[in-house]
Amino acid sequence: MARATVEEHPQKSGYALLVAVTIGIVFLLFVAFLNTVKPAPGAPPAPFFTESNLLYVALILYAGASALYIGFGVTGLDRYVKTASLLTLLGFLANTVAGAHRWYSAGHPPFASVYEMLLSFVWTVALLTLIAERKYKVQVIGSVTMPLAVVGVVLMQLLPNEVRPLVPALQSTWLHIHVTLAMLAYAACALSFALATMFLIQDNMKTETFQAATSAMVSAIYIAILATRFTGAGGLSLIAWDFQNKEEVFLQRGVRLFVTVPDLGWLFAIVTLAVFAPLVFYAWGRVKHDESKYLLASRGVFLSIALQVLALAFFVLRARGGFYHSADADGTFQTSLAASPFILAGLVSGIFASLLYLMMVWRRRDLERLLPTADALDRITYKTIGIAFPLLTLMIAAGAYWANRTWGSYWSWDPKETWAAITWLVYAAYLHMRVTRGMRGRVAAYFAIGGFAVVMFTFFGVTYLLPGLHAYA
Amino acid sequence: MPTRNPLSRVLRTLSSIKTGVILLILVVIASAIGTVVLQRPTTEADQIERTYSPSALYWLDKLGLTDVFHAWWFVVLLVLVATSIVLVSIDRFPRAWKVLTNPYKVTDSHFRAVLPMQDKIPVADEDAALSLAERAFQKVHLKAERVGPGKEASLYAERNRFSVLAVYIIHASLLLIFLGGIVDALVGYKGFLMLVKGQTLSQVELSTKKVKELPFAIRFDDGGRENYADGSPKKWWSDLTVIEDGKEVMKKQIVVNDPLVYRGVRFYQSTFGDSRKIDSLTLLAILKADPKVRKEVTLRGNAATAIDDDATVQITNFIPDYVIRDGQIYARSNDPVNPAIQLKIESKKAGTTGTWLLPEDPQNSNAGPTPWAFAYKSGELAPFTGLSVSHEPGQWGVWGGVLLMAVGLTMAFYCVHRRYWAVVVNDPKLGTVLWIGMQADKNREHYADEFKEIAGHIRNELQIQSAVGTTEEKSLAHA
Repeated sequence: MARATVEEHPQKSGYALLVAVTIGIVFLLFVAFLNTVKPAPGAPPAPFFTESNLLYVALILYAGASALYIGFGVTGLDRYVKTASLLTLLGFLANTVAGAHRWYSAGHPPFASVYEMLLSFVWTVALLTLIAERKYKVQVIGSVTMPLAVVGVVLMQLLPNEVRPLVPALQSTWLHIHVTLAMLAYAACALSFALATMFLIQDNMKTETFQAATSAMVSAIYIAILATRFTGAGGLSLIAWDFQNKEEVFLQRGVRLFVTVPDLGWLFAIVTLAVFAPLVFYAWGRVKHDESKYLLASRGVFLSIALQVLALAFFVLRARGGFYHSADADGTFQTSLAASPFILAGLVSGIFASLLYLMMVWRRRDLERLLPTADALDRITYKTIGIAFPLLTLMIAAGAYWANRTWGSYWSWDPKETWAAITWLVYAAYLHMRVTRGMRGRVAAYFAIGGFAVVMFTFFGVTYLLPGLHAYA
Repeated sequence: MPTRNPLSRVLRTLSSIKTGVILLILVVIASAIGTVVLQRPTTEADQIERTYSPSALYWLDKLGLTDVFHAWWFVVLLVLVATSIVLVSIDRFPRAWKVLTNPYKVTDSHFRAVLPMQDKIPVADEDAALSLAERAFQKVHLKAERVGPGKEASLYAERNRFSVLAVYIIHASLLLIFLGGIVDALVGYKGFLMLVKGQTLSQVELSTKKVKELPFAIRFDDGGRENYADGSPKKWWSDLTVIEDGKEVMKKQIVVNDPLVYRGVRFYQSTFGDSRKIDSLTLLAILKADPKVRKEVTLRGNAATAIDDDATVQITNFIPDYVIRDGQIYARSNDPVNPAIQLKIESKKAGTTGTWLLPEDPQNSNAGPTPWAFAYKSGELAPFTGLSVSHEPGQWGVWGGVLLMAVGLTMAFYCVHRRYWAVVVNDPKLGTVLWIGMQADKNREHYADEFKEIAGHIRNELQIQSAVGTTEEKSLAHA
């Protein structure tokens, strides 16, 4: 692994960031400790090893690791990545204990609610980062995956976390097997996506193409939100939240109550235009062979990030406070971030992708030095999909077996099932193109990225856009 | 000479990988449409009519887009995929079979010239060289065999030859899964069976709206449910008995996720609830003539129960939720919120009389000239159990195919077929050399390292030997 040439900046020993991060971690851990051993007057001392404390510890450690991974991505100093790796490992251990604690107190593995799924997902992301480092020697991957883990843990703090008992249909070992396989398979696909993107960096794909792809992805998220939730008068339609029972408000069985948050629709529409504009500039630049348009597009991305943050801030503020009217019922209702996990996840992902693009733009030369060669990345992507594909196969099979035991039918062309099959077919096409037709490099990378897009649709799109039996996850 | 007739051209197109990938993409597109357009089997007709305009719906129906997964063209597409798999396998299998049954053990000079992974190590002694190679192979856990006649002896080692079959196993397993699905589509059925406590039925209402008569009957003996603290269901259970030819052949208590299986037909606990029948009713009977005489009576079902030597009482009608209109009792709903129970009292002395017991309205109960008055103490409605019924003989093909695919995938990704050769030859430039060569069908970088290790072992051994030889020569010289 190439090291940054320290002789260029002889005074950069890298201790400054390390010391800052260490102090930060120690301080935050101390604050957490104080909060538990010094309870409210009259109350008994709270135990330290609670699930939320452990998750807070994990959050602190993951945040420290993220800072150091990004520092490594920028400077290439080995001690950054070694410390980051250690912090990831410690955070992973805290995460594991938190998950085990949750499992024990809930009586079922942590898969039954969005909170629990995030807990499992963040755990899997940390695990895969550690594996990718050791087995594949791709150390920069932490700079992408650990911030994602941080975002996940932060999201968890915003969601209701009561232990919900499982209805009879969900009390099955085969369900647990199916969901575990799904987590692992999707995580492997996410990893292959990251590797394929790194391949494109090393394969000299032009920066403006990356920008166009990022803009396209973020535009797709905002257009999906607008298309489904924009109301005539410029409001945004969100699901109402029942704070008494801590669940969504239902008009009748399966029909949720939507409230209209005024003006939020206009804001989102403006942000959508801002996010889409760089794509327009890119197309203009391509068609007219005018490089200056790419510069405009780049500036547009900066503006779009600022607006995206604004949109997120307003969304969070409006969702957490206020009473809103509904077109379907009289009176006013509240909503909550917990009622719109997908919109929240979409907004955060958009910002995250845009920031990753920026980091790539600023530090492309450094990244190209630190990442493995294009050829190596191409092979590693193939190997990762060689792990993901069997997992996908087993996941579908376990899901079919569980469905057969619970509902008497192993395949009913349910949207989630069908999209899982579509995902499987896309990765099968990747393997066929690669192994038999000998198509490697760019085309394979596009297939890997496309495959992950299908995975995202299967996981989020189907639940958000196409309701069915799978509605709970 | 291949005949250029249309049939052979069609077969050739169908057996190409490009066609296969195109067919896969078409299946993907069709399936995606099937998830976006509302599908008739799973959606209520009026909802479909509300969502699409009449002209749009006409075209959607005509093109089969409202029932994609049972449309004839979708079936044709799947048949083409299956055919393509069969043809590709038939096309390529002979080569795999040849590798499997007739391995290439003795190299010729052309092969030795073009093989990418090879090395030439100068040696002095032929036999010693081959033994060296054998030992070097052993160090990486390979067992080499000597092939070829006497003087032209060479070594051959191989690992995981069976993995050439991996691809064929995977595709065969896919066909097996298809076959299972077809069998179930043709012969299998799914339906629903609802039984009240004590009821026996042998007819199942199928999802196709037809009624199927089973060769045996199911009786629901007893059942119950448990709820969580917040009222949501935790567990439903039913005691079922299978009756065939008048005999009880099987009993099982089923819960959700644990069905009863008899003769390939499966009965799943699907729903559970209260029926409109009374299971047990406990009343306090008060003699009108002498209110101090009270007896507690428990009635079960419609059976007549004795109050004393003189009178019996039984339930003759039960309305879960009654309302009085024009002096008559009518049923308003099925929820047991305001029940009315009609009782028949048979007294040897007073004759047969009837009355209504209204637990929510004791003032107006017990109207009529009955000798006994009744007060409601407790009661339970008979539960009903909703069973999902399915007969899917093809599922064994599906599960068998899945297991086979797991084996095939493991073989394909994790078992690498490798071959190693070693022979002593005369090289024009280097003289007598030990030629070693190797080929791996996957993960070549890893095995290139292993190959270098083997070559390194051999070179080291030769150096040690020649060093020893030199020392011996020297000591001999000194002696």
